[in-house]
Amino acid sequence: MKHAPLPKLRPTIWDGLVAALVLVLAVGTAVLFYGNLDHGDQLTAVITHRGETVENVVLASLQEEKIIHIDGQYHLTIALHPDGVQVTQSDCPGQDCLHTGTIRRGGQSIICLPEQVVIRLEGSGGPDLVLG
Amino acid sequence: MRINTRSLTLCAVLTALALGLSTLENLFPITLVIPLPGVKLGLANIVTVFALYALGTGPAVGILLGRCLLGSIFAGNFSALLFSLLGGFSAILMMIALHHMPGLSIFGVSIGGAAAHNIGQIAAAMITLGSTAVLGYLPILLGVSLFTGALTGFVASLLFRAMRHIHFQTGDTSYG
Repeated sequence: MKHAPLPKLRPTIWDGLVAALVLVLAVGTAVLFYGNLDHGDQLTAVITHRGETVENVVLASLQEEKIIHIDGQYHLTIALHPDGVQVTQSDCPGQDCLHTGTIRRGGQSIICLPEQVVIRLEGSGGPDLVLG
Repeated sequence: MRINTRSLTLCAVLTALALGLSTLENLFPITLVIPLPGVKLGLANIVTVFALYALGTGPAVGILLGRCLLGSIFAGNFSALLFSLLGGFSAILMMIALHHMPGLSIFGVSIGGAAAHNIGQIAAAMITLGSTAVLGYLPILLGVSLFTGALTGFVASLLFRAMRHIHFQTGDTSYG
C-alpha cells in the first residue's frame, strides 16, 4: 500500500487559509442562524421532549417563576422566569444542560442530549437583541 | 489490503491508545470551562492524524472504526455511537482529502479534521433530536475547533519530530 509522504511539521500559509475557511463557515452559520430571527415577537420558550412539543410559554406573561418537570429515562427540572429559562436540576450523565446556565435571548437554546430535550427561545422580546 | 503482523499489532496498540485518550478526556471534561455540549479537545484525533500519515488511509479508517465501536460498547451508550461515527468519519474523510494537498502542514489537516468532526456531530444531534435548534451551536463549535485542531496538530507534529530519532517501522516502509 502506498504511503502518504511524511507531513510538513511547520504551519504554512495554506494552513491559515484552512483556518480562515473554518472561521468564515462559523460566521456564516452564525449569521444564517441568528441573523433572521423574527423581530417584535414576544420571547417564547418552546420545550420539546423526544420530538414532541410539551410546553410553549410566552415569558413576558409569567407573573412568577414557572417550574416544569420532564420525566423520562432522566428527570429534568426547568425554571422559567420572565427574563429567561434555566435547567435547575437534572440527573442526566452529561450535565451540559445545567452548565449552559440561563438563556435570555431569541435563538438561544438549552439541549439535553441524553433525554432529548430542547428548550429554545423564539422571538426577540424587545429591541435589545444582541446578534451572534 | 495485505497486512503483516507488525502493522496489525501497531494498529491494535493505536486503537487502544485512542480509546485511552478518549477516556482520559471524559474524566476531565473541558465543558466545565466552556459550558457547551460537544466541546472537547479531541485527543483521540492525534491518533487518527498519526495513523493517516504513518500507516496510510486503510489502517487509519480501521483504527477509527475500532475506536468508535469499542468506545460505545465500553460506555454502554449506544446512542453515542451515531455521534462518534458521524463525527469521526467526517473528520477522517476531510483529513484524507486535505493530507494529499501539498501546501498543507499537519496543522491545517488537523484543523480541517476538527471542524469536520464538529459538523458531523451537529448532524448526529439534528438526527437524534429531530430539531435544527442545535445548529445554533455550530458557529461556536467551529470557532473552538480552530484551537483544538491546532492543539492536536501541534501534539502530532511533536510526535513526528520525535520519530525522526527512532527507528520506526510500519511493515513495508521505515522511517529511520
